[in-house]
Amino acid sequence: MSRVWDLAHGRSGDKGDVCNIGLIARSTPAYETLCREVTAERVKAHFGDLIKGNIERYELPNIHALNFVCRGALNGGGTLSLRSDHLGKVMYTWLLRMEIEDAN
Amino acid sequence: MKSVKLGTGLAFWGDSIRPAIEMVERADIQYLCCDHLAELTMSILSKQKSKNPDLGYTTDIIPFLRGVLEKCRERGIRIISNAGGANPEACGREVVALCEELGLHGTKVAVVTGDDIMDRIDELLDQGIQLENIDTGQPLADVRDRVTQANVYIGCEGIVEALEQGADIVICGRVTDAALYLGPMRYELGWAVDDWDLLGAGTGIAHCVECGGQATGGLYSGGWQDMQRLSSLGYPVTTVFENGEAIMSKPPQTGGGVTVGTVSEQLVYEVLDPGNYLTADSTADVSLIKLEQIGVDQVRISNIKGKPAPATLKVNMGYRAGFVGEAQFTYTWPDAVKKAKAGLEFLAERLQQVGFEAEEERVEYLGVNSMWGPESVPDPEDPDLAEVVVRYAARCTTKEHARNVFTESVPLYNNGPAGASGIGTRPPVKELFGIWPCMIPRELITQKVEIMEVKP
Repeated sequence: MSRVWDLAHGRSGDKGDVCNIGLIARSTPAYETLCREVTAERVKAHFGDLIKGNIERYELPNIHALNFVCRGALNGGGTLSLRSDHLGKVMYTWLLRMEIEDAN
Repeated sequence: MKSVKLGTGLAFWGDSIRPAIEMVERADIQYLCCDHLAELTMSILSKQKSKNPDLGYTTDIIPFLRGVLEKCRERGIRIISNAGGANPEACGREVVALCEELGLHGTKVAVVTGDDIMDRIDELLDQGIQLENIDTGQPLADVRDRVTQANVYIGCEGIVEALEQGADIVICGRVTDAALYLGPMRYELGWAVDDWDLLGAGTGIAHCVECGGQATGGLYSGGWQDMQRLSSLGYPVTTVFENGEAIMSKPPQTGGGVTVGTVSEQLVYEVLDPGNYLTADSTADVSLIKLEQIGVDQVRISNIKGKPAPATLKVNMGYRAGFVGEAQFTYTWPDAVKKAKAGLEFLAERLQQVGFEAEEERVEYLGVNSMWGPESVPDPEDPDLAEVVVRYAARCTTKEHARNVFTESVPLYNNGPAGASGIGTRPPVKELFGIWPCMIPRELITQKVEIMEVKP
């Protein structure tokens, strides 16, 4: 097993109660693995109750990036949230910890 | 091919002014673009304006201009800023006063308005504009009596007009972040108002650079160890070409780096659907963007497309949403966690004794699960932990309830379970503002540009 971190780096931010998490693969094979393994469903399961709403995944193939748009992810939004990470600045690091099958 | 060179001056209210000072000394820029506003900033500024009609703009613009303005005037660098916030007129007056003080006669200061619709809400509702929350579908009536501010994210047309009229400094309110960059691109490169591919490209390029140090090595997770001299980080310097491509770099002898990796991380920051990045000026499509390293600290940005601007503009309203009270304390070995939980019970009982009410509460253990929360990382159980830090926060409807959180935690020092320390000083009780995102037809919004010339 690998972690997403072995294949990608990332960044996350806020828009209201939406947190978006971008992953950038470190190579073309790594991007293919990410596309296969890091589905919206698996991300949703990995975050559990931390993300209340649905998650959509978008692809940016030329820069080997995936973007996850996570709704209901910030405890009501950056301005209301009681969380220490109210702007979701480190949400991506929790996704980098997710374990995946790495065939490469 | 025609081009324009844009420098990123500031990325948020309170950002360091040193990168801009270095930039105007060392980089051959034509424009210095400064974003001072985040989602919450407008609520804070409107609160300040309600207490003092001369306030309500981000006051960091004045020390910023003190640092760069004389150099900018000498070199013909024009400054574009949204520091006007909730009060662009007052901001413009202060900027003119500063120019007078510095003897910069002949400087033209433009003030762009038209984003503030606070006084029009009822009229808009009467016209059938629902202003319902686009995230939740709730009607505005749910928060109408608590709304303190309503500003439209307006596009770059006011900035273009100000530049056409010869403005050296353009002060705006809630224009989009991208407009601060797209305005000078349109003005210099002659892009038509409906050339959607070029406007989309300009918007995407603006997105890559508007957060300053976040694109040049700041917060770079792909290799923060490789980024040298982050404490002297250089901000983006971007040459935009008339064909919608750009080369991003940073001033010489500054820290950080410009790589495909650093720009990629910024590109995905705060983006929803990358194929439909909605702004007032265009719908940008960055889904097939290409980034290419063409030299040390030089990245070419290309292949961004565009579609027509949306028929509606986004409105950012702020509404009063209560107060937050916080307490934090530390317990030590042995049984640090057990003692911390007993401390939390102690606090809960004392709060109950004073009739405390909260709409929502949160407990986090710092160093364990304060970032991802107990939802992702369970509370610690190890009885051998050297120490734990607990943070308790509550959202309350009144200031008094919120204030009680800290007050009732103070006796933990002497009266609670053993091993308590680190309670700290009383934090200020913070008023919360909710953000109400909604839409308004674009034809209902007209920008206005006023030019003031600094007289001797």
